[in-house]
Amino acid sequence: MKEERVKRFNPEKELKKSVKMLLRRDLELNRVREELEKRIKESEAAKERETILRIREVAKAVDIKRNIKRLEKKTKELKETRKALLNILEDIDEARKKAEEERNKTLAIIANLTDGLLVFDSDNRASLVNSRAEEILGIKAGEIEGESLADLSRFSALKPIIQLVKKKGKVFREEVKLRENLILEVTTTLIAREGEKIGRLFVLHDITHEKRIERMKTEFVSVAAHQLRTPLSAIKWSLGMILAEDMGPLTEEQKTFLQKTYNSNERMISLVNDLLDVARIEEGRYIYKPAFRDLTKICQAVINSYKTDIERKKIKFKFKKPKGRLPKIKLDEEKISLAIQNLLENAIRYTPPEGRIVVSLELKEKEIEFSVKDSGIGIPKEQQDRLFTKFFRGTNAVRIETEGTGLGLFIAKNIIEAHRGRIWAESEENKGSTFHFSLPLP
Amino acid sequence: MAKKILIIEDEEILLNLLQRRLEREGYDVVLARDGEEGLKMMKEAEPDLILLDIIMPKKSGFQVMEEMNKDQELKKIPVIIISNSGQPVEIGRAQQLGAKDWLIKTEFDPAEVLKKVVKQIGR
Repeated sequence: MKEERVKRFNPEKELKKSVKMLLRRDLELNRVREELEKRIKESEAAKERETILRIREVAKAVDIKRNIKRLEKKTKELKETRKALLNILEDIDEARKKAEEERNKTLAIIANLTDGLLVFDSDNRASLVNSRAEEILGIKAGEIEGESLADLSRFSALKPIIQLVKKKGKVFREEVKLRENLILEVTTTLIAREGEKIGRLFVLHDITHEKRIERMKTEFVSVAAHQLRTPLSAIKWSLGMILAEDMGPLTEEQKTFLQKTYNSNERMISLVNDLLDVARIEEGRYIYKPAFRDLTKICQAVINSYKTDIERKKIKFKFKKPKGRLPKIKLDEEKISLAIQNLLENAIRYTPPEGRIVVSLELKEKEIEFSVKDSGIGIPKEQQDRLFTKFFRGTNAVRIETEGTGLGLFIAKNIIEAHRGRIWAESEENKGSTFHFSLPLP
Repeated sequence: MAKKILIIEDEEILLNLLQRRLEREGYDVVLARDGEEGLKMMKEAEPDLILLDIIMPKKSGFQVMEEMNKDQELKKIPVIIISNSGQPVEIGRAQQLGAKDWLIKTEFDPAEVLKKVVKQIGR
C-alpha cells in the first residue's frame, strides 16, 4: 500500500496545492490581522472616548465641588452678613429704645423741674413751656406755644419776660417782681448749636422766700442798729458833758481815758451808721437829694477833714485839681462826700507811714473822673472781684488792721451807681491801689 | 423870768443829761416821757420851746406835732426835733409839720443843743 500511496503522490501537484493553501491562509491571516487591528483601533478609540468622558466627568465633578464650596462660602458669608445685619438692627432698636427712654426721662425732668422753663426759638416764638412755668405765669402751654412776641403781649404776666427776650447778650440774670408775693430770678441763656443761635432759654426761679428772709435780715439789722443808736447817744452825751467838765473838774489821767472811751464810742456810732446805710440801701430807702454842686469843693472839704491823719502818718499827699473849673453836676452832696470819704480813708489807713497818696479830679468828655492813688498794701489779685461786695476785707488788710467793717466800698459803690456813675479799681499787692469813680455830666 | 423848755423824750438818760445841761444855763425845764404826757404838759406848763423825740411810746413825735397844729395856741410854740435816724424823710416830714430845727442824736453833744436852743429863744 505504501507504493500506491507513493504512486499516487504527485509532488508538484502537492506543492501547488500547498502554496495555494498557504496563500489562502495568508489571506485569511491578513484579514484576521486587519480585523484585529480594526478592533484594536476601535477599542482604543472607545477607550479614549471613555477616558475623555471620564476625564470630563471628573472635571465636571471637580468643578461642581468647587462651585459648591464657593456657594457654601457665599452662603456662609451671607448668613454672617444677615446675622450682622440683624445684630445691627437689634442694636439700632435698642439705641432707639434707649434714646426714647432718655427723651422721656429728659421730658419728665423738664416737666417736673422746680424751676419754670421757657424756650423761645430763633424767631422769638414760644416753643417750650414746662408745667412749673405754667404755674408761675398762670398760663397753659397750649395757649402760648408757637406764638410770637406780639401775640404774647396780651398776657400781662409775660410782659416782663417779653422785655427780656428783646434784650441782647449771652447770659443775664434779672430780678422780676411778677406779683405782690411772687418774685422771680429770671436767668436767660442763648441756646446755640455749632455756633448757630437756635433760641433762648429762660429759667424762672422763685426767690420770694429768699427775698422775704433777706428783707427780714435787713429789717433786723435796721432795728438793731436803731436800738443801738439810743444807748450810744446816751454814752456820747454823758462822756461829752463829763469831758467838758460840766460835772466838775477832771484830772489829766481821767481826761485821757475818757477821751479814748469817747473815741471808741464814736467808732461804734460810725459802724452802726454804716450798718444802717447798708440796710437802707438794701431796703431801697437810700434817699438822694440831688442839687447842682462843685465836685472840687466837695473833694477839698473831705480832704481837709483828714489833714491831721495825713500829717500824723507823714504821708506825701497831693490833690491834683483840674485845670479849669469843673462844671457843676447834680449830686447828693452828703452821699458823695461819704463815698469820697470812704475811698480816702481806706487809702490813708492802708498806706504805710511816709507813703504817697494822690487825689485827682479830671474832666473827661462825658464825665468827671475822681481817683485816689496810694502806695499802700494793695489788694490780692484773686480777691479783687469781691472788692465792692458787702463785708469784704482783703486778707492782707485784716492782718495789719483788725478794725474795719468791710462796708465802706459797698456803700461807695451804691452811692456812685445811684448817681448813674461807675466805680472801679486797679491794685497790685504791696505796690498800691487806685480807686476811681466817674459821674456823668449833665 | 427864766425861759421854759419842755423836753419830750422817752430815754431817761438823755432826758436827764439835757435837763442838767439846760438848767445849768438858767432855763426852766419840764419833762415828759411820751407823746401823750408831752401834749398834756405843754398845755399846763406853756413852755417857750419844745425839744421833741420822734420815736416814742403812746404818741410819736409826728402825732404830737399833728395835734399841736390843730390848736391855735400850741401851734405857736417852736419845736426842735431830736431825731434818732437823721434820715431826710424823717426830717423832711418834721419840717413839713412845722419843726424849726432838728438834732440828730448820735451826731451832736449837749453843748450843741444849747446853741440851737439859744438860736430859737435866746437866753
